[in-house]
Amino acid sequence: MTAQPLTAPALADGAARPRFELRASAVVGISMICAVLLLAAIPPLIPGFDAMAQDLRSARIAPFADAAHPLGTDALGRDLLSRVSLASSVTLGITLAVVCMNALIGSTAGIVAGYFGGRTEALFSVVSNTTLAMPVVLLLIAISAVVPPSAGLTIVVLGCTWWVGYARVTRNVASSLRRQDFVVAPLTQGADAIWVLTRHIVPNVWPHTLIIAATDIATIVLIESSLEYLGLGVQPPVPSWGSMIFEGQQYLGSDPWLAILPGLVMFLAVAGTQFLSQQFTAESRGSLLRKGGM
Amino acid sequence: MAVLEIEDLRISVPTAEGARSASPRLAVDGVSLHVASGESLGVVGESGSGKSLTMLAALGLLPAGVRIVSGLIALDGRPLTGLAENQLRPLRGRTAAMIFQDPMSALNPLRSVGAQVATAVRVHAPELSRRQARERAVQLLDSVGVRDAAERAGTRPHQWSGGMRQRAMIAMAIAHDPLLLIADEPTTALDVTVQAQVMELLAEVRERTGSALVLITHDLGLVAENTDRVCVMYHGSIVEEGTTRDVLQSPQDPYTRRLLDARPEAHEAARALPSVASADALEIEDLVVEYPGPRGRPPVRAVDGVSLRIRSGETVAVVGESGCGKSSLARAVLGIHAATSGRISLGGEKVAAALSHRTARERERAQIVFQDPYSALDPRMTVAEIVAEPLRVRHGYRPDRISQLLADVGLDESFARRLPRRLSGGQRQRVGIARALALKPRLLVLDEPVSALDVSIQAQVLEVLDGLQREHGLAYLFITHDLGVVRNIADHVIVMQHGRIVEQAPTSEIFARPRHPYTRTLLAAMPRIDGGPRADAQPAP
Repeated sequence: MTAQPLTAPALADGAARPRFELRASAVVGISMICAVLLLAAIPPLIPGFDAMAQDLRSARIAPFADAAHPLGTDALGRDLLSRVSLASSVTLGITLAVVCMNALIGSTAGIVAGYFGGRTEALFSVVSNTTLAMPVVLLLIAISAVVPPSAGLTIVVLGCTWWVGYARVTRNVASSLRRQDFVVAPLTQGADAIWVLTRHIVPNVWPHTLIIAATDIATIVLIESSLEYLGLGVQPPVPSWGSMIFEGQQYLGSDPWLAILPGLVMFLAVAGTQFLSQQFTAESRGSLLRKGGM
Repeated sequence: MAVLEIEDLRISVPTAEGARSASPRLAVDGVSLHVASGESLGVVGESGSGKSLTMLAALGLLPAGVRIVSGLIALDGRPLTGLAENQLRPLRGRTAAMIFQDPMSALNPLRSVGAQVATAVRVHAPELSRRQARERAVQLLDSVGVRDAAERAGTRPHQWSGGMRQRAMIAMAIAHDPLLLIADEPTTALDVTVQAQVMELLAEVRERTGSALVLITHDLGLVAENTDRVCVMYHGSIVEEGTTRDVLQSPQDPYTRRLLDARPEAHEAARALPSVASADALEIEDLVVEYPGPRGRPPVRAVDGVSLRIRSGETVAVVGESGCGKSSLARAVLGIHAATSGRISLGGEKVAAALSHRTARERERAQIVFQDPYSALDPRMTVAEIVAEPLRVRHGYRPDRISQLLADVGLDESFARRLPRRLSGGQRQRVGIARALALKPRLLVLDEPVSALDVSIQAQVLEVLDGLQREHGLAYLFITHDLGVVRNIADHVIVMQHGRIVEQAPTSEIFARPRHPYTRTLLAAMPRIDGGPRADAQPAP
């Protein structure tokens, strides 16, 4: 037996856990997202701004021309700042709900299929391939023929059809984790599958889900907006980015800001999440994917 | 004339991943060495001693971020330092060629081996047509002992065994008769008999081409048999240099002496058999383990009717080459892969074959220490959490028990909050042992517990295991391919081949009077320091 127990050498940076380091691109991403969030949160708090009130006498005022309407008005004289603000809340709300549903359904299916393998995995393949084959937009149009289109319907349909990406990745991660010795060890000590899944598989799969979610937010924003553009989803007079762009499109020649303004906010949200997702990717490269050291 | 001259070389590596502010660290600090033409030099040291970096620098192949701070490198009289990439390229393969440790990752899995050797040929002989290069490739493969080279050249690397792949790597390295061959741990990934064949081939090739050899290794036995001179590196510096015979027989530097002492073979078997006729910790009868075969084929039998028993306080080593079924045996004992038939008794009671059918009580009687210290520990948990996990599983968590367990394996409190990636291989293996001990098992299954570690670390871990056995009366089922390790830890040795036990006897018997020809082959293939000529290794029957 070693006479003297080993003492851990002091670490160069003095921290047992690696320091969290924010990348420049993440700072840019966070500021873009914050800008959109502030836009969604602040105007409803200021009295005098109403997204629905029409005033045909002051229709299509250019931005920065009138102090009462800082970003101008649309064809029906509704305040654009309030409308973009409300549209941001609506679109972001739908997007977050869809992404959460996708991540939850997809990761659960993927982890279960990857960990248990065999028939579970075969069943998983059938279901996920079928889901992948479904044309979401056509499906939504078809359903709209029966059920009136609404935000809830969009959330449920997108939420139930867009999870295959999460499932595929998490299945692969889970099935490679299943063979790792650190997952086998607790089993030899009396642990059951639930223990292993919650203590070892989920915590190690979770960062991967986060990465996909971060990139997926942008995709969902764009899909949701294109659905609104087609008239599916949230119904007027409630605005969303997609429907605002659709309305503004008619005045593209004379008053381009009507379409550009919501487009710009959408760009900020999409680009912001993309920049931020780079941070997660780098983080996972630093801690998860490389287990060894140098 | 010197083929390779290195003078006062200093190489810096970036420290702590990601931390931009940290200053670079010197991994190689003032190394000078030379290799005369036709000579063979051994460079010995542990992981992180800078031996590989020094040699990568000699080919201008340093990884990104690693820089030469100062010093001179000359290949065949031409200074290398400061040369641009396109000036270096003609030298690689022609003046000096490298043979890497892992032939699987050094070969492209999607191209046929022949085509890859042909590429190596054409790099420096663009005037050759594809067909001519292909023919030369087949000749080269033939010359390194690949049978039916013309036919095998068309197959891809995964259809080749480890030893054959390493032969292909050697064929690529000698394509242009380089003046210097640099072999970086060329046989670490290979079984001991295959290792003997590859080293013999290298010697034969050098005789033919007159190349000098630099052999980078941590195995002193390999150095003793294959080199004229040796450099011992420690923490980036050469601590001792001289003819192989002098250095190994009368080492001057304390580090070299430590390295020699740490070799498992250096110890004579001094184990007393447990005197008390104690209870059986493990009894196996006629165990068969099968894996489902490829579609339509019969199942593959990995373990074929093995019986053995281990008493408390006793160590039984199971020795054999990869694929002999020793790891399958270990996993079947634990139920990780259920045995197809046969009886397993733990602590005198018969247990089910599959882990899922064993009760928690039955499971805690046998615990495992894994081979790979990297995949054995959850990268997201701290040392204390890892060791505590089995206790939490069984609702028996007590904080003082964690420090006790860590102390048992020679780690103090300061490790408790570390993440595995901040630990060395040996420290990780200690944590793995502490976790296995947490439930007070009667049997520890040790699946190659030290084969991923440097020799001196191996010795420390074996010492820890030995102490624990004395203290707790543990039984060990010690799976290994290294006969040297077996000598000073095992009471009994079981030699396995093709899933069957071919010989079993007390350790001293096996070493003194091996009966089975396969055991004799294994023993003969073991590299030795004592200098005596080794019996020619024969391929396993």
